[in-house]
Amino acid sequence: MKKFLSLLMAAVMLLSVSSIVATAEEAPIKISIYYSDNSTLPYREDWRTISYLEERFNVDLVFEPIPMTDYGTKVTNVLNNQGDDTPDVILGTSTAGGNAALALNGGAYAVNTNPDWTPNFNARVAEFGLEESVNMLKLGDGNLYYLPQLFDVPFYDGGLILRQDYLEAKGFEAPKTFDDLYVILKAYKEDYPDSIPLTSIVNIYVLQRMTMPAFGISVGRSTSTGTRVLSWDYENQEYFAGALSENYKEYIRFFSKLYKEGLLDPEFTQDDAAATRKLATGLSMAVYGYYDQIGGWEGASEIEGMDLNMYPSLAGPNGAHHQPKSSVGNGIMFPAKTMQRADFEQVVRKIDEVFFSEEGAKVWCLGVEGETYTEVDGKVVFSDDIMAHENQEGIYKYMQNAYGCGCDGTQVVWYNAREMTKYDENYSRINAEVAAIGDVIQYVPATPAFDDEAAEEAALLQTALADAFFVWDDAFMRGTKDIDADWAEYEQDLKSKGIDDFVALYNEYNKYK
Amino acid sequence: MSEKTASNLQKRRIREHNPVLNTFTFIVLSISVLACVIPFLYIIAMSFSSPVAITNNRVSLWPVDFTVEAYKSIYEYPNFFRAYGYTFLYTFFGTLISLFMMVLFAYPLSKDWLKGQKIAMKLVIFSMFFSGGLIPNYLLINSLHLVGTVWSMLIPYAINQFNLIILINFFKGLPTEIEEAAVIDGLSYFGILVRIVLPLSGAALATVGLYTAVFFWNNWFAPLIYLKSSQYPVMMLLRNIVNGRTMIVDNGGMGEKSSLSISIKSAVIILSSLPIIMLYPFLQKYFVKGMTVGAVKG
Repeated sequence: MKKFLSLLMAAVMLLSVSSIVATAEEAPIKISIYYSDNSTLPYREDWRTISYLEERFNVDLVFEPIPMTDYGTKVTNVLNNQGDDTPDVILGTSTAGGNAALALNGGAYAVNTNPDWTPNFNARVAEFGLEESVNMLKLGDGNLYYLPQLFDVPFYDGGLILRQDYLEAKGFEAPKTFDDLYVILKAYKEDYPDSIPLTSIVNIYVLQRMTMPAFGISVGRSTSTGTRVLSWDYENQEYFAGALSENYKEYIRFFSKLYKEGLLDPEFTQDDAAATRKLATGLSMAVYGYYDQIGGWEGASEIEGMDLNMYPSLAGPNGAHHQPKSSVGNGIMFPAKTMQRADFEQVVRKIDEVFFSEEGAKVWCLGVEGETYTEVDGKVVFSDDIMAHENQEGIYKYMQNAYGCGCDGTQVVWYNAREMTKYDENYSRINAEVAAIGDVIQYVPATPAFDDEAAEEAALLQTALADAFFVWDDAFMRGTKDIDADWAEYEQDLKSKGIDDFVALYNEYNKYK
Repeated sequence: MSEKTASNLQKRRIREHNPVLNTFTFIVLSISVLACVIPFLYIIAMSFSSPVAITNNRVSLWPVDFTVEAYKSIYEYPNFFRAYGYTFLYTFFGTLISLFMMVLFAYPLSKDWLKGQKIAMKLVIFSMFFSGGLIPNYLLINSLHLVGTVWSMLIPYAINQFNLIILINFFKGLPTEIEEAAVIDGLSYFGILVRIVLPLSGAALATVGLYTAVFFWNNWFAPLIYLKSSQYPVMMLLRNIVNGRTMIVDNGGMGEKSSLSISIKSAVIILSSLPIIMLYPFLQKYFVKGMTVGAVKG
């Protein structure tokens, strides 16, 4: 018995030592990665998130930061040509637009081919209940060509931002409807006749995409359907001609009134500096923009006591709705060339582990426990280094800049509650208020599963319709055309350009039917 | 002196001493100079001013709340100086290689008696109007294994047809008698090119060199397609910094919606354009002569 036991122990020891030696000798898998680089918070080679995950998962991640502005061009080029510079993995991409045809023609690996290679991704999808949303991303051949970003609850990160100090000084309540907003803007205009109270960042389409859903539509340059002229009927789950709807009429009536009365900024396109100047100098007191911009606008202002705050979505004829958002975003794609690697399965498994595992996802969001944060009674407490920047650029920006946490390309699993730990209490409160209203942020309808011929027909119709619509929309907003008097001519124009066929085509390939 | 020449000279003297005409010329030229200089001074002033002063419209042509923070931020911007180094490398060696190749190509093509010269010229002109397009070019450069190497910046752009035609026409304008004398003295064609033609072609080479250098300095699309990010020139970074904010990612984290201050953008513009602007005064004497180079066949 003694002899048997010593033999058993020796065998166990031998096995343990050999496995340790084998592990120690296993070289890390080298994976080259395309990353969409944001110039405001640029990629840094010394980001701790990356070095930690490399050590933790025994992988060598070679990042290739490509400027965000040209990322789409570069990705399309490598998917198309699969040349010497093709990376093993592309972050922050999807099969939207031209990439769909490239994927269908064998440009990328279909990630649903081997679901057992991506156990962490599958687990997160199940955890968030996003099976249907992920399914909707499949192309016409029934394959999914990328591992999308996953959001448990969409963020309310931008919307109506107003001068709270003005509201308090005048005794106004926080606006709840568009009529409330009108009263506030009107009062500001009366107090400051040279002002243009309401402006928008970048382009009027930002304001439109944030406000139209409250009127039951989403049309224009940046719309949830991507069609420019159609909208989504959430009740019947089908497309309708949003640009020719009564909802659109009502929307235009409201905003053209603002324009006519000098309450809406006539500069429909402007850069950041122009919008900042208007808000900082008090020329404007309200804007449709993003929460993180508030600090910059307040910091640039010399107006004493200026206090901007973001408000939940205003209620319109269709209720209080913000721009629709998807729970699945751009994600991780494997170009076809990567499939030629002998260790391709290991590459996919490693990527799944690094990006979608619970541990990996947490590191991409919060950094390394014990270094960037600690958890005390389940509550995240950030390090002194991070907290020292809370009142400067803010925790989230500093963490991305210094540690690589929260980058849109690398973080693919987004827990709303975990994200909120990085923002101030006010932001969490606003998000909670929005959540309490319920269904403010509706889903983005899935792109129809067009075949090549239908896709081409849709593209042709869309180009002609969108070009005509942009001209009419601008004219209606500015009042050079009257929404009632010129409606028949406008309707005839869009009908002659095939809007009815366009609706029929989209509904024919509607994935929800 | 012929009657016509005398009359022309007289007209010229009247023009030179016409105070109204001179004042008018002075005003027009001054406005042109100011139109070019003022925006540049404004950008310089903004790059040295505080963001608050810029936003509140307090900056004109002189910095307000003087600060070098913008330049400090750029100094800390990852890879800015490495990109700067690559820009110099592509510009210097790209121009050198380009001039070398174009001279070797243009000189024989300037000889009408050369067999096949006309066909070669037609091919040059054809390729000027009809290029292969992006994807065929990429496939070619990829099959030559130049993608991801600095050579993909230098070799494919070695010959520019427009500049080549300028050089050909300039070489055609040189007196053939000089070359004939050189042949009699025993010089080879290569010797004639190096010892006779090139020393007489300073203006043409400076002009074409400047055009080429500006092309390499400003080129951002080819680096995007062919190079690794670690080999990017500064123009790629500049483009990303200036245009980055126009991208708004709906589902992105907060960082995706940040913006850079206008003072940093101004500083980047100054740092990236100043070196190439500084080249002009040094080449001006050649450049002014060279503006009409190749325009008239002598």
